[in-house]
Amino acid sequence: MNVLTNTLKGLYDVSGVEVGQHFYWKIGGFQVHGQVLITSWVVIAILLGSAALAVRNPQTIPTGGQNFFEYVLEYIRDISKTQIGEEYGPWVPFIGTMFLFIFVSNWSGALLPWKIIQLPHGELAAPTNDINTTVALALLTSTAYFYAGLTKRGLSYFGKYIQPTPILLPINILEDFTKPLSLSFRLFGNILADELVVVVLVSLVPSVIPIPVMFLGLFTSGIQALIFATLAAAYIGESMEGHH
Amino acid sequence: MANVIMASSPKTLITSSASPTPKPKFNAPQLSLPKLAMPQFAKPQQLVSISTSISAIVAASLSMAPPSLAAEIEKAALFDFDATLPIMAAEFLILMVALDKIYYSPLGKFMDERDAAIKEKLSSVKDTSAEVKQLEEQAAAVMKAARAEISAALNKMKKETQLEVEQKIAEGRKKVEAELQEALANLEKQKEETIVALDAQIDALSNEIVKKVLPVS
Repeated sequence: MNVLTNTLKGLYDVSGVEVGQHFYWKIGGFQVHGQVLITSWVVIAILLGSAALAVRNPQTIPTGGQNFFEYVLEYIRDISKTQIGEEYGPWVPFIGTMFLFIFVSNWSGALLPWKIIQLPHGELAAPTNDINTTVALALLTSTAYFYAGLTKRGLSYFGKYIQPTPILLPINILEDFTKPLSLSFRLFGNILADELVVVVLVSLVPSVIPIPVMFLGLFTSGIQALIFATLAAAYIGESMEGHH
Repeated sequence: MANVIMASSPKTLITSSASPTPKPKFNAPQLSLPKLAMPQFAKPQQLVSISTSISAIVAASLSMAPPSLAAEIEKAALFDFDATLPIMAAEFLILMVALDKIYYSPLGKFMDERDAAIKEKLSSVKDTSAEVKQLEEQAAAVMKAARAEISAALNKMKKETQLEVEQKIAEGRKKVEAELQEALANLEKQKEETIVALDAQIDALSNEIVKKVLPVS
């Protein structure tokens, strides 16, 4: 009995998933989640560093890193163009940063060995693992599409609420709330669930079996980033062109 | 893990001692643990046996868990909004501006310029293709002229040689004819000579015959 208890305790210690446990910092009287900020800084550093390194001295015939970053930029431009239309130019930074930040965050949660670094409380994981991050991104998307619609069409932007008929007014208003809600919860839920599945499987069968699930996690992480960026671009494009 | 699940569903907690069931069969003393998450059935009386077995199993499994974990259970704050949200938004905006400065704008501009340069080069290549066509036409004309010249020269040569050959043939023919004439003339002469000779002989012979046939009377 005692031996069993000890092994079980060991398993708990190894696999201890700390969901909803945060490493709290106090900044000027406000509480923040330190682990999210730390990992987000790492993600930002990775993005800025690799981009600066690859684009430092562009060559006419691209090689290696530059080639990859050109491919990524083409990809982002393609997403923006298909969703927003011909006036996609000014929105490339927003859509691109959305995609890259979410993508690198998700993959960092799956690939970087965060767990090596011990925190006093909580644990390091992907920044998108925290509801604050995803809601922040979703609210920024909402702001972005309002801004896009208002600058493009002025006050006539609000005419979309009574189209095609005024009967749909409540539903159209509701949409402005469901959009950020679905965006943030989709990303948050997928990433959290993914990490939980991997951790639980690793604790149950510590070898071989979790590997396909890990690959599936990488796949879903990429898909989630793509979905978030595509939907953000679609919302912006929709509010710019309006309903006809 | 189990702790967390437990902690995140505090509303459905009932204690196993509350249910009218026989005490779970294990040797360990009643720990402070057995707070069980039980689904709330509509009619608990009908499901006494099921709930009994479930509670027994869960209680047993929990009793095997280290007791220290119970003390560490803490309310899981999954939806814990705080100042992280605006900070993340600000971080995202800063990242967007920075990436635009070092990545999207410079590389995008570079790529567009390269595209323009390539397009320009392509169109200039199209221009030279017209030139190439002209040159090709020139070359074709030169070839045609050369061919015409050659065929003219060939014809000329052919004519010349033909003339020469004809001349030679005519010469040869003349020569042969002359020889033929000569030979014919010779033959005629010989014939006349022979005829003359024969005449003389005929005369002599006829005289002989006459002498023989007509005796001298």
